[in-house]
Amino acid sequence: MKVDFNSAATTALADATLGSPVVIEALGLDELEAAWVEAVGLSRGARVVVLRRAPLGGPLHVRTSDGAELAVARSLARAITVSAVLEGGAT
Amino acid sequence: MTAPATGRESTREVAKAEGGDALVAMIGRPNCGKSSLFNAVTGARAHVGNFPGVTVDVLEADVALPSGVRARIADLPGVYSVEATVDPSTDEGIARAFLDDERVRVVVLILDPLQLRLGLNLARELAARKLPMVVCISQRDVAESQGLRVDVTALRRALGCPVVLVSARDASARGAVLGAIDEALRDGRRADSLSDWTPASLASEAVQDVGNASERRRRARTSTIDKFLLNPWLGPPLFVGLMTTLFALVFLVADPASQAMDAVVSALRGLVTRALGEGAVASFFADGVLGGAGTVVAFMPQIVILTAALELLESSGYLARGAFLVDRVFRALGLGGRSFVPLLMGHACAVPAIAATRIVRDPRERLAAILVLPLTTCSARLPTYALVLATFFAERSALFRASVFVSLYGIGAATALIASFALRKTVVRGRSLPLLMEMPAYRLPQGRVLAQKVWGSAKNFLREVGTVIVGVSAVLWLLLSVPSPGRAAAAGARPIESSVAAAVGQVVEPLTRHAGFDWRINVGLIGSFGAREVMVGTLGVIYGIEGAEDDSAPLADKLRAARRADGTPAYSARTGLSLLAFFVIACQCMSTVAAIRRETKSLKWPAFVVGYTYALAYVAAVATYQVSGLLGIS
Repeated sequence: MKVDFNSAATTALADATLGSPVVIEALGLDELEAAWVEAVGLSRGARVVVLRRAPLGGPLHVRTSDGAELAVARSLARAITVSAVLEGGAT
Repeated sequence: MTAPATGRESTREVAKAEGGDALVAMIGRPNCGKSSLFNAVTGARAHVGNFPGVTVDVLEADVALPSGVRARIADLPGVYSVEATVDPSTDEGIARAFLDDERVRVVVLILDPLQLRLGLNLARELAARKLPMVVCISQRDVAESQGLRVDVTALRRALGCPVVLVSARDASARGAVLGAIDEALRDGRRADSLSDWTPASLASEAVQDVGNASERRRRARTSTIDKFLLNPWLGPPLFVGLMTTLFALVFLVADPASQAMDAVVSALRGLVTRALGEGAVASFFADGVLGGAGTVVAFMPQIVILTAALELLESSGYLARGAFLVDRVFRALGLGGRSFVPLLMGHACAVPAIAATRIVRDPRERLAAILVLPLTTCSARLPTYALVLATFFAERSALFRASVFVSLYGIGAATALIASFALRKTVVRGRSLPLLMEMPAYRLPQGRVLAQKVWGSAKNFLREVGTVIVGVSAVLWLLLSVPSPGRAAAAGARPIESSVAAAVGQVVEPLTRHAGFDWRINVGLIGSFGAREVMVGTLGVIYGIEGAEDDSAPLADKLRAARRADGTPAYSARTGLSLLAFFVIACQCMSTVAAIRRETKSLKWPAFVVGYTYALAYVAAVATYQVSGLLGIS
C-alpha cells in the first residue's frame, strides 16, 4: 500500500471526519477488488465526503464528487486511505 | 448518421451472411435507466428497479430493425465494470461471460447523463473489446429538467459510434435506438478510439453543469429525507416498523383474499364431483388436481401484495437504506443487509421471498438466504399449529396458547439464522463481497411499472410453480387413494387405510415412534409433503371427518379420543410438542421447492433443502418427545 506522508495527514476512510471532504490516496485491496471498487466510483484521486456511519459498526454513507452516494462496508473503508482536502482545494 | 463503412453492404446481407438473428447486448451501470429503456424498445416486461443489481436473469426480446433485420436484444444485469469481475457468479461475471459470446454483434451501452464520467469508464472497457457499440444517453427528460445540456456530437466524435439521446417515456425512443443498432451493425467493427479521450475529459466536454447546481438540487431532497430515515436513533425503529406493517398487511389483506379464492376452488370441486359422480376419476380431478390448483391460487394474494410492496420499496430507493441500517447485524450471521427483506417476507410466504433474494448481490449470501428461507414461519404453518394447540392444549389458558404461538415464530427465525450461520461455515463457505452499493436518490414509483411487475410475477408463479404443485398433488392423491398391492380394502374401511401411503406410514412407524408419531400421523405427514396445510385435511380424511380444514374442532375431539390397541390414549401433549417441532423445521412445501429450483437453476439445492430440513425436523421431533418425557410432561 502506497502512502504519501508528504501530503496532508492520511487516515482510513472509516475514520474520516463526518462532513469533511477527503481525497482517496490508496486502495489497500487486491488488484481485482481494487478495480471493482474504482469502477463503482471510489477511485484514487476521487474526492468524497462521509455523510454518516450506520450504528453498531455498520457501513458508511459516502458521497462522491460525481454526486453518487454509496454505502461502503466498514471493513472496506478501513482498507481505503484518504487525506483531508484543504479548504479551497480543487474539486 | 456517421459516414458509411468501406465496402458497405446492406445490414440485411450482413446478418444473413453470418446466420440467424443479430444478438444485441444492452448494458449499463445499475440505476442508469437500462431496464426502462429495454421495456420501451422491446415492449417486453422487464423488471425496473431502483436498487443496484436487480436483474439476475438476462431478459431477451426479438425486434425488427428499421432495415428489416431481426435482432434479439438481451438486457444484461447492471454492472460497474466488465473487466473487474471479482467472482464469475456476480452480475459482472454474468455480463462478461455474455459479452464473450461470439454471437453478440452489437453492444448498446446505456449512460446516465447525471453520472456520465463513471459511465464512460464502462465505455472505455467496451471500446477495448472492439465490439460495434451504440451509446444511448438515457433520462433525457431528467437531464433537461435540471438544465443539463448533452453534446451528442462531441460524444459521437470521440467514441466513433452512433450516439443517441433518449428518454424511455418518449414514443420516439424505440425508433432512435433501433435505428442506431442498424447503423452499428452496418458499420461493423471499428478502429480503437481509446487514445483520444479519458472519461473525465469527455464527460466535462459533453455535459455542461455536471456535479454542480443541478446535482445538488437533485440530492437536496434526498438528503433531507435521509436525515430522518437514516438517523441512528430514528432510522432502525422506522425500518422495523415499516417492515412489520408490511408483514401485518399480508396477514390482514392476503388471508381473507386467499380464503375467498379457496371458496371459489371448493365450488369448482363441487361442480366436478356433481358432473363426474363419486368415482375415482372424479376424486382424482376434484381432490388431486383441483386441490393442488387451490393451493396455488391461495398463494396468489400474498404473491401480489409482496411483489407490489417489494417493488415500491425498491423503486422508491428505500430498500437500499434498509440494507444500510441492518447490514452489520446480518453480516455477523453470514448474510448481508439486503437479505433482511427476503427473510422477513418469508414469514408470510417463502415462495415470493425466495424470488426476492434476487436483490442480494453476493452469490453466496443469496444462496444461503434461499436455503434457510423455508425455516421461517410462513402462514401455511398456522392451520397445523392451531390444530395442535386446540387438540393438546385446549385445557390451558388462551395466554399460554398465544405464547406458544409467538415462541414458534421466534424458534423459526432463530433456526433460520443459526442455519445460515452454519451453512456459511460449511456448504456455502467462502468470503462474501464487502458491502459497496449505490444509495439511489429517492424517486416516486411509477404505477405502470408496478402493475407490469405484479402481473409478470403472478403469471410466472402460475406457470412455473403452479405446474409443479398440481403435478405433485396428483401424485400424492394416487399415494393416498390407490390401494397398496396385496392389501384389499376391508369392507367398510376408508380407502386411505389400505393406501400406499398407509403402508409406508406403517413401515416407518418404528422410526417415528421415538417422536410419538403413529402410522396415522405418518400418513398425514406424507399427505402434507406437497403443502403443509394439507395435514389437517388429511388427518380429517383418516378420522373420517368431512371439512376438517374449515373447522378443526371435531377433528381435535377425535384426536384426543384416539386410543391405541391397549386402550391408552394414542396421543399426548408430548405428541403435540413433537409435531410442532417437526412442523417448525420441515420444508413441507412443493411451491418452495419449485421456487428454489427456479432461482438456483439446479436440482441439487432443492434436494438439499428437502433433505436437511426433514432430517433436522425428525431429530428435533425425537428430541422434543424424549426430553418432554423426561420432564414428566404427559
